[in-house]
Amino acid sequence: MQQFKALLLKEWRESVRSFKILWIPLVFILLGISDPLMNYFMEDILQAVGNMPDGFMMTMPEFQPADLLIASTGQFQTIGLLVLITAYIGSVSRERQNGTATLLYVRPISFTALFFSKWIVASTIAIISALAGYAGSMYYTALLYGTVNVTKFLAMLGTYCIWLLFVMALTVAMSAAFQTSVAATITIILIPVGLLIDTLIGGFWSITPWKLAKYGTGLLTDSVLMENYWYTLLVVLALIIVFVLIGIQMSKKNIRYLKV
Amino acid sequence: MICIEVNGLTKQFGAKKVVDDLSFTLPMHTSTALIGPNGAGKTTALSMLSNILEPTSGKINMPDVKDIRSAIGFLPQYPQYYSWLTALEYMEMVANLNGLEKRSLKSECKKMLEFVGLQNAMNKKTETFSGGMKQRLGIAQAIVHKPKLLLLDEPVSALDPVGRREVMNLLKEIQQQTTILYSTHILNDAEEMTDQLLFLRDGKLVEQGSLTEVKQKFEEPRFKITFTTPEEARQFASQSTLGAIAEGIAAYVEVVDERPSMQQLLQQLAASPYKVVKVERETASLEEIFMKVAGKHAAI
Repeated sequence: MQQFKALLLKEWRESVRSFKILWIPLVFILLGISDPLMNYFMEDILQAVGNMPDGFMMTMPEFQPADLLIASTGQFQTIGLLVLITAYIGSVSRERQNGTATLLYVRPISFTALFFSKWIVASTIAIISALAGYAGSMYYTALLYGTVNVTKFLAMLGTYCIWLLFVMALTVAMSAAFQTSVAATITIILIPVGLLIDTLIGGFWSITPWKLAKYGTGLLTDSVLMENYWYTLLVVLALIIVFVLIGIQMSKKNIRYLKV
Repeated sequence: MICIEVNGLTKQFGAKKVVDDLSFTLPMHTSTALIGPNGAGKTTALSMLSNILEPTSGKINMPDVKDIRSAIGFLPQYPQYYSWLTALEYMEMVANLNGLEKRSLKSECKKMLEFVGLQNAMNKKTETFSGGMKQRLGIAQAIVHKPKLLLLDEPVSALDPVGRREVMNLLKEIQQQTTILYSTHILNDAEEMTDQLLFLRDGKLVEQGSLTEVKQKFEEPRFKITFTTPEEARQFASQSTLGAIAEGIAAYVEVVDERPSMQQLLQQLAASPYKVVKVERETASLEEIFMKVAGKHAAI
């Protein structure tokens, strides 16, 4: 416990002093407010810059508040996750490569404490960012379009946080298992590219981890089969445990990558 | 009392044995220099002792110690710190990792930093540190948990003369409380602070013993007679019955089993017509011994 606290403090200081705690939530806030604002002012924007011919008529879609939260989620799922993955993909591997880990690994450290300290801090930053992003999105949606059911909104937030726990567990585990560049490639293929593939051809199946965020937003409009939702959630929770175990094992095994 | 026992330690990378069948014993409270040219396997050996490299074969044993990691302190050749932490924060972190008692932890860390002379830089980020300061912080982090064995990889090689002196003085102080094993290729440093020498070459232990033992074995005493001109040296060498060799303005006579004696040499010199500037008895410096050991085994 003493080790875990010391490592947690070290990781937390890293995220604070490198301003990750500031700029990543800012990115999410910008992503979150862009959809409600853009869609609301689309007509004005088009008129101002669009150079439309006279008599051009366009019907703007009638958005429901939930549609804008879904759109914001889409932004978080692509750009947001990429930012989070790149910020934390080096958390284990870069320390090995630059030699700072050497002075930790010569001590009787617990690799469980090591992995958890990194995963928990990365997840905390991710969750703070998502909450800030959704707060921004919800604020302008509420101002411009209307509100959604609070309980359903919280259910969606909770679901998204679990999804982020999974993404960060995968990110840190890959960082423990491979060198930074390899880890980054694999994680980016598994998460953002995986999400894209799931969007394109995901109609053929109903339970994959990539669908969790989509089902989460589906809770807002009651458009998701609860059975699918629960199974997906279970799969994701199981995968979190799997990747945590992999991460702990791999940080231990990959002492051989240490630079002395 | 034995501090650590190493038996048949071997590390193989592919077909190359970087460390080959290394065996030695370090008694408590001694300091040992691991000497060898670059690429001799010093760093690899130290990495295995400090548990960050798995040996291919061989055994490391410390009597009365369960987890070796808790009983050693290690300073790598180029210690790297977290740039965003201050020296004190870093020390507190490693002290916690070593499980120091929480109540006295902070004061203990401060004491260590004062001991290595970083009292004025405690709250500065380590990224601002100079090479000498980094090395001193490296020593502080290696001894914060009072290890039984302190492993240092080239502790002074990268430092300027002032930094080197400071670090050597620190190590001499630490030497009184713990066992030290350090690698170096700078022999003056080894000569200054060592009870035992381990000569490593191509991963093999080629010579071992106390400084005086090794010196006696390899000193190869000889007489050096200095003349005024190279001509005189050459002529003396050709006329002498002692097997002298001329080199510049000096002639050299090897001493084997105290033969020839000084008396024999002086008699011959007295009989010769040459002007003698100086007669002296020379022994090899550690540097020359190093070259000899490295060279002798190069042929094998």
